[in-house]
Amino acid sequence: MVDFARVQKELQECNRDFQVSGIKVMPKGESNLAHLLGTIPGPIGTPYEGGSFKIDITLPDGYPFQPPKMKFATKVWHPNISSQSGAICLDILKDQWSPALTLKTALLSIQALLSAPEPDDPQDAIVAQQYLRDYQTFLGTARYWTEAFAMTSSIGVEEKVQKLVEMGFPEDLVRTTLENVGGDENLALEKLCST
Amino acid sequence: MDSEDDDLYYGSGDDEEVEDGGEEEEEPDIASPVSCNLQKQYTILAEEAIKQFQENDISEVSNILSDSRALACTLLSRYNWDISFVFDEWFGNEEKVRDSTGISPKQKSVESAVYCKICLETVENNENVYTASCGHRFCADCWKSYVAVSINDGPGCVTMRCPEPKCKAVVGLDMVELVASEVDKQKYYQFLLRSYVDSKRNLKWCPAPGCELAIQFDAGDSNNYDVACDCGYKFCWNCTQESHRPVECETVDKWIKQNNSEAENTTWIMAFTKQCPKCHRNIEKNQGCNHMTCGRPCSFEFCWLCLEDWRAHTSRVCNTYKEEEEKSKEATRVHLDRYAHYYERWASNHKSWQTALADLEWLRNERIKKLANVQAEPEALLQFVLDAWIQIAECRLILKWTYAYGYYMPPEKSDKVRFFEYLQSEAETALERLHHCAEKEMDKYLNAGKPLEDFKDFRSKLAGLTNVTRNYFENLVRALENNLSEVEECVDYEKRNLPGSLDILTLST
Repeated sequence: MVDFARVQKELQECNRDFQVSGIKVMPKGESNLAHLLGTIPGPIGTPYEGGSFKIDITLPDGYPFQPPKMKFATKVWHPNISSQSGAICLDILKDQWSPALTLKTALLSIQALLSAPEPDDPQDAIVAQQYLRDYQTFLGTARYWTEAFAMTSSIGVEEKVQKLVEMGFPEDLVRTTLENVGGDENLALEKLCST
Repeated sequence: MDSEDDDLYYGSGDDEEVEDGGEEEEEPDIASPVSCNLQKQYTILAEEAIKQFQENDISEVSNILSDSRALACTLLSRYNWDISFVFDEWFGNEEKVRDSTGISPKQKSVESAVYCKICLETVENNENVYTASCGHRFCADCWKSYVAVSINDGPGCVTMRCPEPKCKAVVGLDMVELVASEVDKQKYYQFLLRSYVDSKRNLKWCPAPGCELAIQFDAGDSNNYDVACDCGYKFCWNCTQESHRPVECETVDKWIKQNNSEAENTTWIMAFTKQCPKCHRNIEKNQGCNHMTCGRPCSFEFCWLCLEDWRAHTSRVCNTYKEEEEKSKEATRVHLDRYAHYYERWASNHKSWQTALADLEWLRNERIKKLANVQAEPEALLQFVLDAWIQIAECRLILKWTYAYGYYMPPEKSDKVRFFEYLQSEAETALERLHHCAEKEMDKYLNAGKPLEDFKDFRSKLAGLTNVTRNYFENLVRALENNLSEVEECVDYEKRNLPGSLDILTLST
């Protein structure tokens, strides 16, 4: 079984220094802690700057002795992340995982991966090709995807509502919460989770 | 009445009529199967023996480095269980070795309370905190889980590292013995043993299911890799397929791939079957007229030639020739016919070989006693029957593989092909006679109810046939292993002695 005592501690610790790291982990539903949603801000100085990227997290039974399963829930254009499925090619999520790592350190590593792509070890061959052959076009596409999919302000209210409803919250509650926080999807999610 | 006479008599003449020759011999002839004629180049090792080897290696390294067994074990598994490799590396650049395995002198912990980075708890009691050689401390419970998960993840656990990210320290035998459960410890030892055998170039596990023996092979000059494990399985040590003399490992690999390839099946279906025009099941027509009736529940009636509905069918539609279609089908059919020819014989000998093995077991366990009873002979004197069956099994296996050899020969009827087919048919005929005698004629003596007068004739006939068959197969194996080089010598000889061959050559240039 997943060591939920540890997961609890991790969540507290991670969300405590949210102001510094910008990294957040929330339970997806209220029933258990095996499904989580992480959020990382796009690193400054990259085409992902300004975006807020959601990471879908599933904890296997052997967690923390087995690595957490993580993939992008937000569409992203990056050589080591599948533009189709959001699958992430990162060693610490596979054979280099160590139980002394945490969800937060893993998310930090993903954030670092956004800053430093490794096109020689690609997850998405098409993106990697573009990165190597036509870097300018790559930057453009990556920026466009960030604006289209990862920026809260660019999403219409209906889309935000739909997203939150898909996460398993009742529609009425979602609408009132979004209104209360001034349309900020992340804050709304945080509120929904804590109620 | 001299057993040596047997050898002389049968050994010298392949063409002698055995039935007539066996009159005087009483002593059973000890036939030795083809592959046992060669000196054994291998040793069969049980788990205990391998453990002993491994233990000796660990002790040697541990003694010479004057350090713990665990450290020796870590180093050995890092360097492929090669003692000299360990020493070369260690004495060449100890720092590098220490760095890559994270082996450093243990640091004494000074803090009384330790924050375990796995369970995120602070552990007050230093007794409950363990560390690998690197000094990274984790609590005992987390170590237990970490080691247990790693062992149950499989053979990779022998190179388990410290849980601290990026730390290279190997978690070795000492930690496993400290924290693992009894069951997990046994698993770990098993993986350690496996890694030992896998690393040793002259050691391989017997591939037979359930067999736990390993075979140590000491390469000699010969290319014969046949080994017989104590479990009864005979295999080629080089490619770990079943024994396949006289065919080379590469040919066997090609042949097996060919047999497995779905493509060959598909071509067969294409060439020999047609689909029912209604339900599209593949139908092979093996006899009868062209009025086909598909199997139930379809029951559609159609013409085999033009595939039209039989009731609407008229000869006018049917007799128009579609040339292209037929030609390509013909080419496929020829290629396939050839493959089918060799495959059928290969498969049939495979089956015979397996039946012979089963028969041999049955004989050994039951029927030999019955035969001894009925014919009032001591079992020891019936060895010739067992020898005959051992020979049959050997020969079936060899014969089976000569068909794979045949398939890969150039399809033109060259001298080599003719010579090969000659040797093969000689050997096959001899084997059929032996098999018949050992199977059908023996029944008579088994079911007689009382000792028969002519049992001694049967003895000499069967022993003789065993010998003759062995000779034929030795010839066949030798010839194929030399790649039928006799044929070339023969052709060269003819060329050299051809009168006027030089003149013809001059004229033609």
